[in-house]
Amino acid sequence: MNTFMRWAGFIVVLFIAAPLVIVVPMSFSNASSLQFPPPGYWLGYYRAYFTSMDWLIPTWNSILIATATTILTMALVVPATFALVRHKFRGKGFADLMMLMPMAVPHIVMAVGYYSYFGDLGLVHSHLGVILAHTCLSVPIAFLVLSANLKGFDRNLERAAQSLGASPAKTFLHVTLPILRPGLVISSLFAFIQSFDETVVAIFISGRDAETLPRKMFDSIRQEADPVIAVISTLLFFVVLLGIAAPYFASALRSRAPKPSRPAGAH
Amino acid sequence: MTNYLQLSNITKTYGHFTALDDVSLSVDKGEFVTFLGPSGSGKTTTLMIIAGFEKASGGTVQVGGRSISELAPHERNIGIVFQNYALFPHKTAVENVYFPLQMRGVSRSQGLRQAEDMLSLVGLKGFGHRHPKELSGGQQQRVALARALVFEPSLLLLDEPLGALDKNLREQMQIEIKRIQRSLGVTTIFVTHDQSEAMSMSDRIVVFEKGRIEQVAAPLDIYHHPQTSFVAAFIGESNLIPAIITSGTDRTAENPTLGAVQYAGEDTLADGQKVTLLIRPEHIKLSRNPIEGRKNARMIVETIVNYGDNALVIGRAGDIPMRVRVLGADVVIIKEGEECCISWAPDAVFVITK
Repeated sequence: MNTFMRWAGFIVVLFIAAPLVIVVPMSFSNASSLQFPPPGYWLGYYRAYFTSMDWLIPTWNSILIATATTILTMALVVPATFALVRHKFRGKGFADLMMLMPMAVPHIVMAVGYYSYFGDLGLVHSHLGVILAHTCLSVPIAFLVLSANLKGFDRNLERAAQSLGASPAKTFLHVTLPILRPGLVISSLFAFIQSFDETVVAIFISGRDAETLPRKMFDSIRQEADPVIAVISTLLFFVVLLGIAAPYFASALRSRAPKPSRPAGAH
Repeated sequence: MTNYLQLSNITKTYGHFTALDDVSLSVDKGEFVTFLGPSGSGKTTTLMIIAGFEKASGGTVQVGGRSISELAPHERNIGIVFQNYALFPHKTAVENVYFPLQMRGVSRSQGLRQAEDMLSLVGLKGFGHRHPKELSGGQQQRVALARALVFEPSLLLLDEPLGALDKNLREQMQIEIKRIQRSLGVTTIFVTHDQSEAMSMSDRIVVFEKGRIEQVAAPLDIYHHPQTSFVAAFIGESNLIPAIITSGTDRTAENPTLGAVQYAGEDTLADGQKVTLLIRPEHIKLSRNPIEGRKNARMIVETIVNYGDNALVIGRAGDIPMRVRVLGADVVIIKEGEECCISWAPDAVFVITK
């Protein structure tokens, strides 16, 4: 690799990592609003976050809504994906298009739509309203991930299972589901993150009762630039880091397991 | 047991396209039957109808005197080995082999023991704990075979199982499959488009073409007595010469270039009937001068392909393209572009009427 490429790579990494470099120190700041570099360090805003219902309730709302959204999304997407990938039927092209539509329409347009439509139905300012709206936004991405997985699925595996005596239900349980598990995990993860991260629709329809964390953060930064925002950002960053690192730790632990079988005199 | 597997008037149509046209066949218990044909000839469709993955548009499939046409694939008790093996990637080799036993309610400890025994039979003792991706192509093939046999299926279906293996491994697996099939005595249908595979493994060969069965016979019968020009051309190398019967009683036919040609066989054909004469390349002799007591013809040599122990000489007798297979030493006497003499005995000529 030549010097230019090395520098270009370094700059890109720096650019991507810069917000973290700023946000993590700011979360330990003792300034009264968001300020960089911090004038001094303390853990006060961490305590503020963990003791204030103003923050804990939106956090709980976000987790609840994202979990419900994930379940509802998968309940819709799994059967839909099987139908759209494996079967030919009249109107299939249209159904395919409708599955992906929420991704093509700007969130703000969707949000305005939900605001007026859910208003009539009495769903504005309710958990259910946000869950329904988020499900609609999560469906396309979950569908894309899962259909890519399902298209690569070798149907001879199912035929083999059936020839070996597995009924269609057992074939699904013992063969199809375990082999598709990575795809299912990833698409539900995407559905969860999409909902947890979603701000625009939440601002429009979540109201006070179903206020989500991104909405609360947005309100807070507009009104007082409370450094608790930096605390939340840092915490979320470490949760994600843990999530990414966990499989590596797991596989490292697993690969260490058989090693004690080496001859005792080896070391 | 005769007529163990009975296909009766099977047809399969997709819209206006007829994939199978009135296919009937009976297979004895313990027999090794090969479906041979070019791709799209209907051999795999027939296999899928036996397995239950395709539904026939008409006709019935019977095994052991019982119709299985209405049974779902998992109720048919038929073992299948797919071309790509279709091993379950999330299960180890021994768990793959245990799967059909698991589905039949065999306990895990007993089932795994049975699966290990089956892996030993296919020569994979000690490989049970590996996942499919940790096994070579040939080993995966053996696991697939063990899995298809462990539950004592009433039929074993092999769908081009050797297609993905290299030549040496393929020959080794041909012998291995044959050995295992004999030792278990399982009735086997083997699908292939490779004629040498069909010749070396089968008790009988079924030749498919355009959704129909062209001929059913033992390998050597198919080779020496093909009933149609398609079979003659598809199996082995052949010289096919159009001719007209001049005397059915004397078994003589006439070709404009070669003149009168004597043929073998006791069929009395009608004078004036149009036929095709088949002469296998290895039955033709190459010489400088005509040989007494044989049918002789002149041939211009165009190409000589050397294989070491033998050579293929391609040339023309007048307007008829001819192929002659000669032993390595004999080819020394001629060169490309030269004219030489080809000759054959009357019993080397077989008449095909279709």
